Amino acid sequence: MMKTFSIGGIHPSDSKISKDCKIEVLPVPSKVFISVAQHLGAPATPIVKAGDQVKVGQVIAEPAGFISAYVHSSVSGTVKSVGPRKDLAGNNMTHIEIDVEGDEWIEGVDLTDTLVTAIPEDNKAILDKIKMCGVVGLGGATFPAHVKLCPPPGKKADCLILNGAECEPYLTSDYRIMLERSKEIVVGAAIMKQVLGGCPAVIGIEENKPEAIKAMTAAVAELQSTAKGYEGISVMTLKKKYPQGGEKQLIDAVMGRQVKSMGLPIDVGAVVQNVATSLAVYEAVQKNIPLITNVMTITGDCLPMEKQHNYKFRIGMPLSYIAEVAGGVPAEAAKIISGGPMMGKAIANMDATTVKGSSSLLYLTAEQTVRGVESACIRCGKCAEACPMGLEPFLLQKYARNSMMDELEENAIQDCIECGCCLYSCPANIPLLDIIRLAKGDVIKIIRGRGQR
Amino acid sequence: MDKLLVSPSPHLHTKTSTKSLMRDVVIALLPAVVVSVLFYGWSELLVLGVSVASCVLLEYLITKYLLKGACTIGDWSAVITGVLLALNLPATTPWWVVFIGAVVAIGVAKMTFGGLGQNLFNPAIVGRVFLLISFPTYMTDWTKPQGFICNALADGYTGATPLGIAKEGGVAAVEGLDYMDMLFFNIGGSAGELSAIALLLGFAYLLIRRVIRPYITLSILATVAVFSGIFWAINPAEYTDPLFNLLTGGLLLGSIFMATDYVTSPMSNWGGVIFGVGIGLITMLIRYFGAYPEGVSFAILIMNSVVPLINKWCHTKKYGR
Repeated sequence: MMKTFSIGGIHPSDSKISKDCKIEVLPVPSKVFISVAQHLGAPATPIVKAGDQVKVGQVIAEPAGFISAYVHSSVSGTVKSVGPRKDLAGNNMTHIEIDVEGDEWIEGVDLTDTLVTAIPEDNKAILDKIKMCGVVGLGGATFPAHVKLCPPPGKKADCLILNGAECEPYLTSDYRIMLERSKEIVVGAAIMKQVLGGCPAVIGIEENKPEAIKAMTAAVAELQSTAKGYEGISVMTLKKKYPQGGEKQLIDAVMGRQVKSMGLPIDVGAVVQNVATSLAVYEAVQKNIPLITNVMTITGDCLPMEKQHNYKFRIGMPLSYIAEVAGGVPAEAAKIISGGPMMGKAIANMDATTVKGSSSLLYLTAEQTVRGVESACIRCGKCAEACPMGLEPFLLQKYARNSMMDELEENAIQDCIECGCCLYSCPANIPLLDIIRLAKGDVIKIIRGRGQR
Repeated sequence: MDKLLVSPSPHLHTKTSTKSLMRDVVIALLPAVVVSVLFYGWSELLVLGVSVASCVLLEYLITKYLLKGACTIGDWSAVITGVLLALNLPATTPWWVVFIGAVVAIGVAKMTFGGLGQNLFNPAIVGRVFLLISFPTYMTDWTKPQGFICNALADGYTGATPLGIAKEGGVAAVEGLDYMDMLFFNIGGSAGELSAIALLLGFAYLLIRRVIRPYITLSILATVAVFSGIFWAINPAEYTDPLFNLLTGGLLLGSIFMATDYVTSPMSNWGGVIFGVGIGLITMLIRYFGAYPEGVSFAILIMNSVVPLINKWCHTKKYGR
């Protein structure tokens, strides 16, 4: 029996149109704008000023707190300015503008393709490297990776889960790296599992990606027979169901354990990292390459096959530049999404630039994405059936519309992971998640306020 | 691309809509409708036509002139009420009685509560029960009208329903009835009670299309089977057997199409089981010990009224709690 998470979930069409497009390297533009907020937590503090010369891989912003991350220059050239610029949602954020001159890297970086399988013994040095290279989780939340890899005192990791579910429709970047960089990902997994104290590592992949399952299984087998430190790594095929790649859902699917409300994965002995994060860990630890590149998918039903791409991009590239290189924005596109269609953000500003966690430019047509007119709730219960957290969205939206905070908290609105299953499933087009998301913020504020008193 | 649409996630939406769900229920009712028309002929067509037309028309008039709000007849829910009401009546019901049933169903039971999604009781059942109490002669006239296909029931058959016969004459009176007849097209009663197979076909369609979940229907049927099984085992001369109780009367029609009405049934699966067990118990208590031969309608109405309580106490299993 193939495993999956036990509560709720939906089956949207997976639409992996670009799955056979090999990863191409995007040419570097003449100018980049690198945001200092590319991770969850405090935005980094810039340490360069206009006129400074920088090399590729050089630190240009330092962490401004425990939950924060280093930001590196993705190009070589001259810093033109450090100041506010609009991100993809249209909010101002500090960006470092760099005029590109050549492609000169910092010292000590190994840019060859040679696979380095020997894992360093010093765990502290490994963690330092991961931190210094600015590695963050690339599954969506961009949580600094080294923080997750240091369980708090008294807590022990029982299992490292590598997230290769890629349950969002359309996205194929994780799929491509699992095919093209399989061994590097496995080395990354072995490094992380060693840091965590040698717990087993499970690479969870959904059944709709048989080639990725094959490639990863082969990579694990090969490394296990040729190098040391790779025992206890395995590939697990998961049933296709959204949101399998949700951290809490993946832990349930792989380990059969559920994280308590407001708890952390490590409370049940789980550490979850995306396969792309594992690749970034490999590059940081084995190759000294800081996280300045990632893979993104350019796709959409309104895009002809030759304009579908999986690109290796550098951070700071304007989205409009990438769209242009990819063959232009299709005329039918009504909405452009950064991320998957279920949890991604609608882009308000194509002049915004790529960040570490960028995963796609997804073009949706008006017909696909415009919501229907809201009608009366017919109490069909499909939202509750779909909710992977076992919540009752129909009830929460009613309480939320009436600002009934105690009832919202009793009915666990704070557990909502904003996966969108409820709104997706509602036959009456009720904007369930819109309403719940707002109320959830208020309830969490109340809970936090109470904790501080 | 001069302007980009921007909205919060998710950016995709299911193709299932209120309208498509309701239309699926109508499709699931079609086998029963076809069978009833084939066997009861023009008079059944008239009942169906008057019922559906007046339900839709009344909802249109009420939304337009009384509520002065958005017209909701496009969602097909009034059509369902119309078909269900018709299938709950004898084929010989006069058109004006059918119309009064529609007025009560749509006008009183549905629209006064605020329309689809707000009503506490199933509109079609309210209409039927109102007619049963107000016009008992018409509502228990089981004369078989001329159908397009003749079945084994003689033309001009004026007998009662199997449940009615059992109520009057006890178990011995229904011993001659063939269960295969009941399974297919051959029992007296309301139009929708004619064929168990046609109703089960609709049930299968609703499950395959994921319109309803099976819990409510199955718990009603299981409760009826267990309850009557116990009594029958104790005294088969006094009480009718489980299969007889499953196949007769409005049990299948009610448990598949009316107890599962989204609006008037509990939201959670466990709530649905409690609701179903309640309906099964009340149905059997009325059948065995009540004044009426049949009790499905009353059972559903009574359980409809406790749905808010069931919803208050039955919640879904939450992750990590």
